[in-house]
Amino acid sequence: MSQIKTDPEMESQLKIGFIGAGNMAYGIAKGILSGDVLPANMKVSAPSSRNLGRFQELGIAVTHSNPELVCSSDVVFVAVKPHLVPLVLNEVSQHITQRHIIVSVAAGVTLATLEDLLPFNSAVLRLMPNLPCLVQEGALLFSRGSHAKPEDGALLRSLLHRCGLVEEGPEAWIDIHTGLSGSGVAFVYLFAEALAEGAVKMGMPSALAHSIASQTVLGAGRLLRDSGKHPSQLRSEVCTPGGTTIYGLHTLEQGGVRAATMSAVESATERARELGQKSAGVGCKK
Amino acid sequence: MSVGFIGAGQLAHALVRGFTAAGVIATQRITASSPDTDLPTVMGLRKLGVNLTTSNKETVSKSDVLFLAVKPHIIPFVLDEIGPDIEDRHLIVSCAAGVTISSIEKKLQQYRPSPKVMRCMTNTPVVVREGATVYATGTHAEVEDGKLLEQLMASVGYCTEVEEDLIDAVTGLSGSGPAYAFTAVDALADGGVKMGLPRRLAVRLGAQALMGAARMLLDSEQHPGQLKDNVCSPGGATIHALHVMESGGFRSLLINAVEASCIRTRELQFLADQEKISPAAIKKTTLDKVLQQPGVAAAGVGVRSGGISLFSSNSPRTKKN
Repeated sequence: MSQIKTDPEMESQLKIGFIGAGNMAYGIAKGILSGDVLPANMKVSAPSSRNLGRFQELGIAVTHSNPELVCSSDVVFVAVKPHLVPLVLNEVSQHITQRHIIVSVAAGVTLATLEDLLPFNSAVLRLMPNLPCLVQEGALLFSRGSHAKPEDGALLRSLLHRCGLVEEGPEAWIDIHTGLSGSGVAFVYLFAEALAEGAVKMGMPSALAHSIASQTVLGAGRLLRDSGKHPSQLRSEVCTPGGTTIYGLHTLEQGGVRAATMSAVESATERARELGQKSAGVGCKK
Repeated sequence: MSVGFIGAGQLAHALVRGFTAAGVIATQRITASSPDTDLPTVMGLRKLGVNLTTSNKETVSKSDVLFLAVKPHIIPFVLDEIGPDIEDRHLIVSCAAGVTISSIEKKLQQYRPSPKVMRCMTNTPVVVREGATVYATGTHAEVEDGKLLEQLMASVGYCTEVEEDLIDAVTGLSGSGPAYAFTAVDALADGGVKMGLPRRLAVRLGAQALMGAARMLLDSEQHPGQLKDNVCSPGGATIHALHVMESGGFRSLLINAVEASCIRTRELQFLADQEKISPAAIKKTTLDKVLQQPGVAAAGVGVRSGGISLFSSNSPRTKKN
């Protein structure tokens, strides 16, 4: 972990802008607001007003002009759909200066592509969040571009730390993170649904089963994160000899759940890599 | 202290080799009996300096600690034969899978009010002093008897006391365990040979890998899952291999195996507890030789026409004079 200190006062003076007003932008904005940044220092731009309401409720200024947003921001989050990234960056590129830090949240858009679309020497970082950023329990991995300094990474980490777990890594890990944690959230939802259905099969009403299933996942997750123990250790601790859990686990093992889960992360990661290569081909040069 | 073995097969041989290597008892103080003197294990025991005899009664008279090292379905015959000769000093240790302490005590109580019985489940690596042994203590055995047995068995590996109802599970896990390991090493070696290694080297390396891993685990506070992680570098060879294993249901296979062994043990016990067993289940030669022993009457071993009663208390007693 980087030991570079960031200055909270400086941070509170920073202007943060979001191009795109979708769920990711919203979740990240909320997380940043729980820190030292004031709503007055934040702005979001989107072509339509559809998604801007919830930002306004937080006290964040809104605009329909991407260039205006860039000019009034120091840190710019590019939070549009991947296929819109080249369009947006072409639009604002001339307004990017040395003071700017550009953070792309677009899945599959590589640092090379981003740097090609922006002025030379631009400080670019690539961030892969996940859905639970919405409730400040995200898992976020970022990677620095060729001209983003360690201090830029430390600044981003500091801005985002209330969004959840924030880690830095080489760009190669971002696709893996996508498979593990971006898509991983959906794998957990699938598992939760199946848990509930098992309970319904055994006679519990559906609503109650779902509510208990989600709390089970949440509770187990909290324990896993906060105990610092290896998951296999925690699993063993739940299994009393000859008890219910070991019987259930045996059935899971017979179903090959572990291998299937490993394969799921693998498939999602490989798809992320594929998409990354595709979008690199699509990204148009100036 | 003298030790006797009723039965001179794999188990007796392995235990004697282990005890001798550990130096915990001199071979002259060990007696073993078997009706079949041609067994390779019998010859092995003779070479070690053990007193060999075809008479179970002789083994009993020469021993303080008496191991019943015969197959489970032979136990009732043996008990009927030696029952009259058991003295207060004797500690009977049954190693037969699935045979309960209460069934043995019930048999012996026809001859003696308070027979000291213990039940143990060990495994073949006692031969290299890396055995895994558990024992349960019978109604009339004292704490000191347990300590004595534990001392003996701890000299050839790990030994601990358990409640008797866990012994079937132990059978499934560590009783059969070495067979799982041999199969694993054989297959690992096949993998090595497939990828170009000479067989001998492959077997050696496979066995060493398992042994080393087991040693690491036994010496570590860490969960095996954690130790596994420590071996798997990101994107490396090992994690790829592990994925293949998981896809094959490796874990569930092992769980199934332990379960199958345990369940079969219970089945065998159930069969034994049933009052009848077909004479075809007993090797004719063994039965004949037992019946040829001096002082053993057919009635005494509960042989009846049309079937052999195992733990029936209706068999006529042969009182010792």
